[in-house]
Amino acid sequence: MIDCTRYRQSMLAQPRHADPAMSEHRESCRDCNLFTERLLRFESGLERALRVALPDAAGEVAPLRAKSPLRLTRFRTGWQAWAAGVLMAVVVAGGLWLGVPGSSLAADVVTHMQEEPQAWRRTDVPVPSAALQNVLRDSHLHLAAGGGIVSYANSCEFRGHKVPHLVIQTESGPVTVMVLVHEHARKPVQFDEQGYRGVIVPVAGHGSLAVLTRGPATDLGTIEQIAHRVQGSIVWTQEPS
Amino acid sequence: MKDQVGGNHKRARFEAMCQSLRPDLLRFAFWLSRDRALAEDVVQETMLRAWKAQDSLLDEAAVKPWFLTIIRREYARSFERKRFATVDVDELVAEEEPMLAAAEEQNLAELRAALFKLPDEYREPLVLQVLMGFSTAEISREMGLSGAAVLTRLFRARKQLRVLCGEDTSLDPPE
Repeated sequence: MIDCTRYRQSMLAQPRHADPAMSEHRESCRDCNLFTERLLRFESGLERALRVALPDAAGEVAPLRAKSPLRLTRFRTGWQAWAAGVLMAVVVAGGLWLGVPGSSLAADVVTHMQEEPQAWRRTDVPVPSAALQNVLRDSHLHLAAGGGIVSYANSCEFRGHKVPHLVIQTESGPVTVMVLVHEHARKPVQFDEQGYRGVIVPVAGHGSLAVLTRGPATDLGTIEQIAHRVQGSIVWTQEPS
Repeated sequence: MKDQVGGNHKRARFEAMCQSLRPDLLRFAFWLSRDRALAEDVVQETMLRAWKAQDSLLDEAAVKPWFLTIIRREYARSFERKRFATVDVDELVAEEEPMLAAAEEQNLAELRAALFKLPDEYREPLVLQVLMGFSTAEISREMGLSGAAVLTRLFRARKQLRVLCGEDTSLDPPE
């Protein structure tokens, strides 16, 4: 049995660690639930703070190179010169990429939400079945009956892939689900950013699932439960990779 | 001819590996050193050493920890090569301000300044966990610490950061 002190100490060391005994304590303790919500908000900020935007290679790296006597004595002959060429290619290509501020998967999901605000409508009108099938087909899945009314389904461009973006009407209001078969999460991640609250859960062999709500009304524990329910209603039509 | 094809393939694989890891490696080196120029130096030296030592990478799935180990060694070597003057953290923050605050909200800039003030032994495991996605066991291996020591450092890191950032810590636990 975990007490409040141990729960909070453990959360401060590993806020993203999923543990049934910890979840059980959190659900039964209002203060620890409040502590967790604050901590996870802080954690989201910490993740973004650590992802500093890196400088563009062309403007920044070259002058730095001249500063290092160590490097000037290297890169001379034979394979070293060749390796330097490899390195230069990496620096330039990498630098161009790094010019774009880094962002976490959660941050990208939230940014995507802001592009489709119309999806959040509360309604009991489902999207036509054929339209839903079209959206799900390319990700090799369909939804079992009883998973809730799907009121919005769109095939969206996300991180270079077409992914299903669904809105399911639940007892907690509209919930957005993004099926991210190309994004492999190592462990569940909770986030609370820019007015959106949600979880990204790994799906063995099928990437991950982002499930989120808009506004502060639904707590993260409930969102996690909804995510597991949605995950349970997915029928994959292709073998796990 | 066959050797050349093999060499090209090896080179292409190495390039791809470096390209995909470089953002994380640079960020890790930056938070380790709190100095952008030094981070660039360390990562470039790391890539050279990695190229030379690539045969020692037996498991490609472990490529990230492999690179991080080289970065940590290379960073330590940079101290052997050059004795760095002791500097005031506020001066460090001011020097790196463009990188810390670039087009970001005020609270992120404050959080980054607080990270600069965190002792190295707390900042490093935190960066490994949050930025690199390392488990406690992986951090233990990387830093040569026990699991309990890693958890204590992570706990203290967040506790101190939250105080430095003026967070509401009324519900935070004692040590």
